[in-house]
Amino acid sequence: MDIWAQLLQGFAVALTFQNLMFCLIGCLLGTAVGVLPGVGPAVTVALLLPITTKVEASGALIMFAGIYYGAMYGGSTTSILLNTPGESATIVTAMEGNQMAKRGRAGPALATSAIGSFVAGTIATVGLTFLSPLVVELGLKFGPPEYFALMVLAFTTVSAVLGESTLRGLCSLFLGLAIGLIGIDNQTGQARFAFDIPQLLDGVEVVTIAVGLFAVGETIYAASKLGTVDEKLEQMTGSIWMKWDDWKRSFGPWIRGTLIGFPFGTIPAGGAEIPTFLSYAMEKKLCKHPEEFGKGAIEGVAGPEAANNASSTGTMVPLLTLGLPTSATAAILLSAFQQYGLQPGPLLFETNSALVWGLIASFYVGNVMLLVLNLPLVGLWVKLLEIPKPQLYAGILVFATMGVYGMRQSAFDVFLLYAIGLGGFLMRRYGFPAAPVIVGMILGPLAEEQMRRSLSISQGDWSIFVTHGISAVLLGLTVLILLAPWLARFLKKKDAKSS
Amino acid sequence: MKGPGGQFALSVGILSIGVAILSGAFYLPAGAGYAQVGPGVVPKFVGVGLILLGIALLREVLTGGFRGVDEEAEKHIPMDWVAFAWVSAGIILYGLMVERVGFVFASTVLYVLVARSFGSRRWILNIVVGFALAAFVFAIFNYGLGLTLPAGLLKFVLPA
Repeated sequence: MDIWAQLLQGFAVALTFQNLMFCLIGCLLGTAVGVLPGVGPAVTVALLLPITTKVEASGALIMFAGIYYGAMYGGSTTSILLNTPGESATIVTAMEGNQMAKRGRAGPALATSAIGSFVAGTIATVGLTFLSPLVVELGLKFGPPEYFALMVLAFTTVSAVLGESTLRGLCSLFLGLAIGLIGIDNQTGQARFAFDIPQLLDGVEVVTIAVGLFAVGETIYAASKLGTVDEKLEQMTGSIWMKWDDWKRSFGPWIRGTLIGFPFGTIPAGGAEIPTFLSYAMEKKLCKHPEEFGKGAIEGVAGPEAANNASSTGTMVPLLTLGLPTSATAAILLSAFQQYGLQPGPLLFETNSALVWGLIASFYVGNVMLLVLNLPLVGLWVKLLEIPKPQLYAGILVFATMGVYGMRQSAFDVFLLYAIGLGGFLMRRYGFPAAPVIVGMILGPLAEEQMRRSLSISQGDWSIFVTHGISAVLLGLTVLILLAPWLARFLKKKDAKSS
Repeated sequence: MKGPGGQFALSVGILSIGVAILSGAFYLPAGAGYAQVGPGVVPKFVGVGLILLGIALLREVLTGGFRGVDEEAEKHIPMDWVAFAWVSAGIILYGLMVERVGFVFASTVLYVLVARSFGSRRWILNIVVGFALAAFVFAIFNYGLGLTLPAGLLKFVLPA
């Protein structure tokens, strides 16, 4: 079947009344949690995982995906009006956007980020549509050693490349891998690190970890370290609409941002932070008014906003075609698939074609919905920012504890949540990224399975990972990425000595 | 929470988790089946990894602290232990209470204590808002989605 037929079939799934509603709910929730500081898409999807027992797969997944890319739209609103990034991928938006708002240009800043997100989201979805079948072709040729090598590469990029310190990123990853070990080994039935505590035999739920690290850890941090810091909410004055000049200056950055963001999302080096910084730097160079940068240049909002949206859609390519999550939210989406007994990967495109293409089609629909939700209705979301901090965080914790307790009806999980929250607080305080923990705990057991499967094929011979060409290349790439910072430093020293 | 002291403790903590996992891994069977790689192999790898990372962290602590963590800047926002105690009390009390007094009351207490940790002293308002929010969530989950949250004390007033 060719792509058009499959996409058409996908639209047939996405445009049913029920799935349109799920898409809308996802976009609404996504925008809301994007706007609100203290909660993000990862926590939200994690808290909603229990609905997988009640709702059929396509509806739930369409909603979860809507939350993921919706949060990218909402995050920019907070960055622009509050100068506290609602999402980590909107840090750059905060720099120029908040300056624009301070100068009474909040409207055009919000508009260029919403329209830019729409342009980028839509182009990236087209990219997803046409790239996915090609990656699937490739993925079908992969055996266990290749998958194992690919997962190791994804681990490395997610933890070592992103964030400010390779070392602390790797620490987070290994803590995640350690959490992933807890429970029954799925190949031999052997209990590992459960300490005879029955609640641990089933493993630690990703919900508890995600909510603990992101929501509880964040709340403890905000209460005890930031409680006294006051932020100023910029008022939205003037028109939301952009002038002709704003359009002219935004168009290039939108397209360039998309072209930077999408590839970054698709290679297993997900995370939307790097492309937003790249796009910002590029626009600063290309801009005809470089003196405006730092004082509210519209290019500095348009480019990065397009980049973060394109990259979050790009993340769907490795997730759907190879089963490879490259961000915390993508990892939780993967566990949502697992709740339905589905394993994303090339085979999913054959066995559950309607589901996958329905999901892809829903991205087209969702981006249109988000444009409407974020342009004419932006005033509504701004109201969310007026919720005072004490009540906001109190509410977040009510939902957080409810989700974690309600999942297994176990008070033990609440105490575990608190312990993980403390861990999240320490990680935040000392600059350890949280996303690698989530990716490690979800992808770790899958990587172990592929590794042991490979070794079954080779009857215990470890050289299988280097005698398979693709696997050897991927592992070589991993080593190179890990050694790159040291190599760079070494070469610099040598350079300094010789000159 | 002193900077370098805290960094030192954290590094030792990661190192000891590594030691614990590595030693635990030796109790797990290492070889099984054709793979000759049993459930004990990956834990050993993870344990060794954490030990090495812990050592690398210690090295950073001893040579000027974690890279990119500005301890000087941290001193300007001192740790507010009172706020920390309020929010901790909220979650722990919730864990102790939820099965005894029910979801709605435990959540109200949590709500009020967390709001207090952020400096809100509008007790009445917080009790009312917290209770209303909890009751709303309870209603949606128990009647709308059919997931049961414990009713606790409410079971005496609610229809079965």
